[in-house]
Amino acid sequence: MKQQLRGTYYFPASNRSQLAKLLVNGDSVNLYSEQQCIFATDTCQLSVASAIPGVAVEVTFADGGKFVAEDRSVRLSLGSVRAERLEKSNKLILASILLVPLLLWFGITVVMPKLAAASVDYLPDSVAQQMGEQTFYALKKTILEPSQLEKEVQLRVVQQWQQALEQLGLPKEKFQLHVFKSDYFGANALALPDGTVVITDELLRLLAEKPDAILAILLHEIGHVQRKHSIRMVAQSLSNTIAISVVFGDIEGLGEVIVGTGAALVQNAFSRNMEREADDFALQKLAELGKPATAFAEAMQSFLAIQERDNKDSDKQETSLIQYLTTHPDIKERIEKAIQYGK
Amino acid sequence: MDVNEASNAEVRFNKVDVEFTGQPKEYFGIWIVNIMLSIVTLGIYSAWATVRNKNYLYGHTKIDGHAFSYLAKPLQILKGRIFALILFASYAVLTHFYPITILPFILLFIVLFPWLIVKGLAFRLRMTSYRNVRFDFLGTYKETFVTFILFPLVGFFTIYLAMPWALKKIDEYVLSNTSYGQKQVTTYIETSKYYLTVLLTVLVGIVAVVAVMAFMFASAAMDFSTFFGFNVRVDAVFIVVYLPLLLLIKSIYKVRIRNHIFNSSEFSDLAEFKSDMRIVPYTLLQLTNVLAIVCSLGLAYPWAEIRTARYLAFSTQARLNEHADTVLDTMSERQSAFGDEAADAFDIDISAI
Repeated sequence: MKQQLRGTYYFPASNRSQLAKLLVNGDSVNLYSEQQCIFATDTCQLSVASAIPGVAVEVTFADGGKFVAEDRSVRLSLGSVRAERLEKSNKLILASILLVPLLLWFGITVVMPKLAAASVDYLPDSVAQQMGEQTFYALKKTILEPSQLEKEVQLRVVQQWQQALEQLGLPKEKFQLHVFKSDYFGANALALPDGTVVITDELLRLLAEKPDAILAILLHEIGHVQRKHSIRMVAQSLSNTIAISVVFGDIEGLGEVIVGTGAALVQNAFSRNMEREADDFALQKLAELGKPATAFAEAMQSFLAIQERDNKDSDKQETSLIQYLTTHPDIKERIEKAIQYGK
Repeated sequence: MDVNEASNAEVRFNKVDVEFTGQPKEYFGIWIVNIMLSIVTLGIYSAWATVRNKNYLYGHTKIDGHAFSYLAKPLQILKGRIFALILFASYAVLTHFYPITILPFILLFIVLFPWLIVKGLAFRLRMTSYRNVRFDFLGTYKETFVTFILFPLVGFFTIYLAMPWALKKIDEYVLSNTSYGQKQVTTYIETSKYYLTVLLTVLVGIVAVVAVMAFMFASAAMDFSTFFGFNVRVDAVFIVVYLPLLLLIKSIYKVRIRNHIFNSSEFSDLAEFKSDMRIVPYTLLQLTNVLAIVCSLGLAYPWAEIRTARYLAFSTQARLNEHADTVLDTMSERQSAFGDEAADAFDIDISAI
């Protein structure tokens, strides 16, 4: 098998170069310049880079010398052209344009959530414990302040909560309720992965006359804990980040942003699903306690009232309450559902 | 007039072509097929993808008809990527599940940061060759710590007054420690240029804030929402005002500083450069790139890359010593890609040019 290529020969370890002709004849390889053989070797003493569309053949010799062909389209039969054939195939390019978005979508919406949900079961309880304790510690240091409500009010809420837990057969030690004042959270309640439940002064004031509504909200929050939502969320955002950085090892700048936005949108949908699950949990437990499902609707209605009041004097700063609502499913939808459940 | 004159006379420089010959269509095929293969192989092929993309871009960047070469091997990159992944994953897992461990990680990161920079720069340069001679980075951990951590801290504690100076120090440090074979870069960049450029970006920034506010008020007065049936105010402000101004500010810095760096750095007796990028064309280029990438859901990315490379090559001139055949390659040892990959994973992007 004979092949002849014109190009440039680069001498080893220096930037000296010379126009040359590369002649491959069976196993022997010779370089000619102006009819003179300037270098002779054989095919075991060189490596040919895997061909890339539109890039000239590059041959590296064992001593560090290099030959680059002049014509960008010729290929040496010594080198591999497998990858190049794929990259030049119009069919595969077209298929990739369709498949890449599909596969990414499938990966982020189906595979990753499944993986995350499955892996959460293997995490030891101590992880949730630690996560909760450390978050609680950090929150107390930053955005939670001591409650300004009267001791009796606080005590009453805690007692009511403990009573409910007892009736439901849920561990009292796990789901300890704490009352805090927080300008950041506004009227809000939250449960940490270890079961610690926090309710804010403002929410208590808002629902002062409706103890069952408070109960409904707290049950919703521990619904997240029971279903390991926050850990699943963390596992998922984590696995997405890692998977994206693995697949797109070299995607830079905007590509990353686009993929990231996609993941964030999925994350939002994911979190709305979680809210529904927590709602269901709360409604079911309310029924077990013999409380009306409308208690839940009532809590939502109070939120709605505030929302509407805020909308009226609009262009005001968004209250933290609205913040709470944006990650939660549409409030009216939830009220409907609670009323339906009641029937 | 005597025979010695040739050697005594000033070195003669010839103007040579700087060109980028890559084609968007060709590169798109390589890019998309490689992404596809990377997904199918669960990311393993991404190391090959990186090498092939880089090879294409380097192989089409030519000075005086000679192309650059990217020397890294896929397995090297893959190993680096696995190490970086382990490091990144343990960081991510620990800080997500145990929020408090973020503190020791920040400390560890500060200690590691200069090392990542040295390794990353050295890898990138050593894997680049031109006319069979490699580039190199000669910086050390200590100097990098001072330049990349202490100087910016000085900038920070002087309410950013010293920040342009710190930026100049960083560029100067990276440049003067860059070498091509045994030749090191000599640079004469000036602090005053950095101050002027930063001042310009600040002024444009102030104009930008005023413009965004004015636009908000104007659109509030006209109330777009009645025309479109929904509230488009925020998106409209972003696309019409905010994005172009943001790109303009970034371009002002990039264009002025790159021009200055190229015009005042050289490989003495070997090569001189000139850059004449212009702010408005470059801003428009960036703006059309961003819009195209967003509208095509990312598919226009390779096209944007090729256009940018073309513009950069078009705006660059080089003059080479006509007896430049004397540069020796001084390196031979193997190089791990870990520093470079780890730097990538933690989003550290350092490149003076």
